[in-house]
Amino acid sequence: MKRTPVIAALMATLVAAGGLTACSSSSGDGDAVTISIMETKQIGIDAVKKLIPGFEAEMKKQGKNVKVKLVGDVLTDPQFVTKITQQFIAGEAPDVIDLGDSMVPGFAGAGYLTPLDDYLDKWDGWDHYFPHIQKAMVRQDGNIYALVHDSGVQNFFYRKDILTQDGIDTAQPKTWDDMISRLEQVKAKNGDLPPIVIPAGTAWGGGSWGEGFQPILAGVDQNYYSLKTGKWDLKSPGWEQTFDLYSTLTTKGLLPVQDLENPNPWEPTKYDKFPAGKLQVAAQGTWGWKFDWGPNGATPIDGLETKVDTWQYPAMKSGGETYGWSGLGSSYGIPEKSEHKDEAMLLAQYLSSGKPLAQVLVASGAAPVRDDIADIKPFADEPKLVQAGKDLASSLYVPTGDGSEQIAQAVANATELILQGKADGKEAYDSFVKNATDLLGPTLVK
Amino acid sequence: MSSSVTPQAPAAARQFRHRPLTAVDVVQRFFAYTLLGLLVLFCLVPFAWVVFSAVDGNAGPTVQLPALSFENFIRFFTNAGTPMLLVNSLIIGVGGTVLNLVLGIAGGYALARFEFKGRRAFMFSILLIRVIPAPATIVALYLIMVNLKLTNTLYGLILVEAVLQLPVTLWLLKGTISAVPIELEEAAWVDGNTRLQAIRRVVFPLVGPGLGAAAMLTFMGIWGDFLTPLVMLQSQELYPLSIGLFRAFSEHNHVDWGLLAASAVVYVVPPAVLYIFVRKHLLRSSLGGAVKG
Amino acid sequence: MTSITSAPARAATASPPSSPGRRGPKRTWPLVLLLLGPGAALIVLFIIVPAVYGLYLSFTNTQLTGFAARNPQWVGIDNYTYLLASQDFLSSLGQTGQFVLFSAIIGQTVLGMVAAILLSRPWVRGKGLFGAAVLMPMIVPEVVASLTWASVLSNNSAGTLNRLTGLFGADPTAWLQVVPMVSIIIVNVWRGVAFAMIMFQAALEDVPAELIEAARMDGARALQIFRHITLPLIRGPVFLYLLLTTISTVGVFGLVYFLTQGGPGGATRLAAIYIYERALQFAQIGIGSAASMILLAIVLVLGLVYVRLAKVEV
Repeated sequence: MKRTPVIAALMATLVAAGGLTACSSSSGDGDAVTISIMETKQIGIDAVKKLIPGFEAEMKKQGKNVKVKLVGDVLTDPQFVTKITQQFIAGEAPDVIDLGDSMVPGFAGAGYLTPLDDYLDKWDGWDHYFPHIQKAMVRQDGNIYALVHDSGVQNFFYRKDILTQDGIDTAQPKTWDDMISRLEQVKAKNGDLPPIVIPAGTAWGGGSWGEGFQPILAGVDQNYYSLKTGKWDLKSPGWEQTFDLYSTLTTKGLLPVQDLENPNPWEPTKYDKFPAGKLQVAAQGTWGWKFDWGPNGATPIDGLETKVDTWQYPAMKSGGETYGWSGLGSSYGIPEKSEHKDEAMLLAQYLSSGKPLAQVLVASGAAPVRDDIADIKPFADEPKLVQAGKDLASSLYVPTGDGSEQIAQAVANATELILQGKADGKEAYDSFVKNATDLLGPTLVK
Repeated sequence: MSSSVTPQAPAAARQFRHRPLTAVDVVQRFFAYTLLGLLVLFCLVPFAWVVFSAVDGNAGPTVQLPALSFENFIRFFTNAGTPMLLVNSLIIGVGGTVLNLVLGIAGGYALARFEFKGRRAFMFSILLIRVIPAPATIVALYLIMVNLKLTNTLYGLILVEAVLQLPVTLWLLKGTISAVPIELEEAAWVDGNTRLQAIRRVVFPLVGPGLGAAAMLTFMGIWGDFLTPLVMLQSQELYPLSIGLFRAFSEHNHVDWGLLAASAVVYVVPPAVLYIFVRKHLLRSSLGGAVKG
Repeated sequence: MTSITSAPARAATASPPSSPGRRGPKRTWPLVLLLLGPGAALIVLFIIVPAVYGLYLSFTNTQLTGFAARNPQWVGIDNYTYLLASQDFLSSLGQTGQFVLFSAIIGQTVLGMVAAILLSRPWVRGKGLFGAAVLMPMIVPEVVASLTWASVLSNNSAGTLNRLTGLFGADPTAWLQVVPMVSIIIVNVWRGVAFAMIMFQAALEDVPAELIEAARMDGARALQIFRHITLPLIRGPVFLYLLLTTISTVGVFGLVYFLTQGGPGGATRLAAIYIYERALQFAQIGIGSAASMILLAIVLVLGLVYVRLAKVEV
């Protein structure tokens, strides 16, 4: 940590005056503690910055002297993972880190994060968390390593205005067959252009699994990974069915193949064609309301709330249930090597409760994982987000562990084959099994 | 193959043309200029995108007629912290290069003039180790830096960057210094100079070319490195521009093409300036002397 | 390489007059330590030690994240046998070989030589500008170079190359999907011509003009002059260049990764990309290190071959 001359001078004075020893993370009067919190998205940085004074005041009221240092480091996810991994190993990581859900299993598994179960058991806020979320946060060894503070529900966002104009039914499609026929109608009425974008192929990277394949797979199969054994069941029936679906969508010309092979495929699809109405359906998470298409988002859509609405994921076969998929969003983790775990936990809890949480959720367009936020302003003023919160209560989630990166790679490769017309569903599935088995290694495959 | 030709000789040996231009010559020249022209086109045409997008208010990922404006550059410079990125890059680049050259000249002289056991092994191993890609070595390097308390400081980063580029510099300077005949130094000793004085008076003036090449390669290597700063630094105020470029990507995963292009234009200026400054020496790099007797 | 012969050997025995008698290697050690010591020590600390640690890691199954990270085990040569039997890794080696051969050994060398020769003609005007233009691709950061070529090779009709072929009536082609290897080879040639040009320009400077003039007087044509006079004289620098460019091309990562992510379907997954995926993406640092060591061994062999070839007939 860099020391500024001012702090150095202050410490020198104090040492002289009070004979106190200054250690690397304390300063000021007596028992003050400085903890650091790290955010890697600008929205998070801005939101947390506003909340720090409130936390410090709250701590003072409780007789604790805690100062918070915000480490705002805007990085892409791979860069962040590379960097924070080194810091974990060396014990240099900040005390509270805002992590994407996909990163938690890896860090938790390696022992870089401290288990939070004791803290949570003593915390009254914990009782308000949705039970299925509480369960989802438990890792392979039975501990909880990060505190989820928000989530998105993943759905299909669709251009209600265009469909209505074209006279196409906007009711929730019950099954994929239903959805496909709907999509074909949309396509016919809109210049025969591909109407739906689902992340797929190698260019989309990890999203092809996390935002594309995994939600669809969950609708038909939730046993593809066992948290108890830590193994992936590649023979589970859902895999091939999902690959078949991708194959159908591709051969019917419903996916924008050319765009999906672009280096940044979300650009021409989600950020260009969807707002322009040339692509009518997008697999998307709750944050689309703010992050992507909101007034301060990447490509704002005017009149978003009236033009766009959401469908849940259709069931694979008739008789099944439609569903939303909840990716667990972001969580606060505390490094095992942190010297101020208690204070760090207090900060994490503060940011995950009541009004502070409501503010953060509205800023990033996420849904709460607690049942007591819906009435708190400013969250209560966001009908779409409140709806997402309700959807969340009944959404699906399948926790995974070691090897998800490898699976993501294998899925990206296999769907790429489908997009290029080099394989049908079964062939892609076979190639996937071979690839995944190789990448995962024998210990992770059932 | 020994040669007593000093670096100045070839220039003097160039003779004036004393034959009039023949038709064959004209065709040859036309051919030559065409080839050069094609080569230049090949090198520059891809940059059309960077140039157009930098001045385009609505830049996209492909070349399009720009909606001319300088707003990208304005945004680049007024964006909080961006000038700082440029300054940091310059500090790291210049500092690293200077340190690298100092160590390089000293080491290069020792390698050129003294034969000692293991010299060959040393020379080859430091060069070949560069084959190991950074992801495999960054873990250990970071741990070492942490233990030396050099992380998150500019001077620590300068030190590492200078050393990472040292192998190539040592090779270049060793070759350059070897090409300076030892007789010149011996003559200086005869004149009453000490070893160090002789080095200063005789060797220094003649290593200009090699020094220029080493400076250029080192600076460019440091200028473009982003993995090392990413891992070594934590405070955003210390980041160099190589990481700052990625800022145009990370927000929303939505690339600000115009800003990225403008950043790229700014980013290219310092190495280009260095090249112009070094060009004279560069063209006369006596690398050829590295393999003459 | 041949510099490790006469001049330094004599230097070791020569000595300044102020010191008595012949100097053997013993008395020069302090000077060597002073001059080379700091640099060598730093190189050992920052480059060699991490590499040795990497070597150690290559014999373990260390992971950086995930439950397996808690318990790294020594696995001996398991990583190596896995890699050498792995279709993916072997393909990546093959692709890297193609990449190095065509872009560095052939492409950059030929174009660089052509440029160097052309620019060595005294009657050429605008040398500085030509040189600067050819240099631009090399000084641009990798990310920008990749994006630049992404705009050229873009698969829709707005891509620069598609616009050019469109002038001849062709449909837009997805170049990176159809000819991925050729595309990245061209991109790398573009990137590295300057380095070759610089090295060869320096080398050509030292070819005595009288020899060439004399040969021309004798009626030899340009190509003959090049083959029989110029080429043998610049043999050394050419091989030094080949060694350096092989080493740096084997390590090319960002330029290709930002463009193709190693796709489509792993068609452009070069060794450096494979190592990145294993070491950083999957956090399998044990395998990543082993792959690096294999790569190092291959380049070592190539290097020895170059050295041998460079020494012959000199």
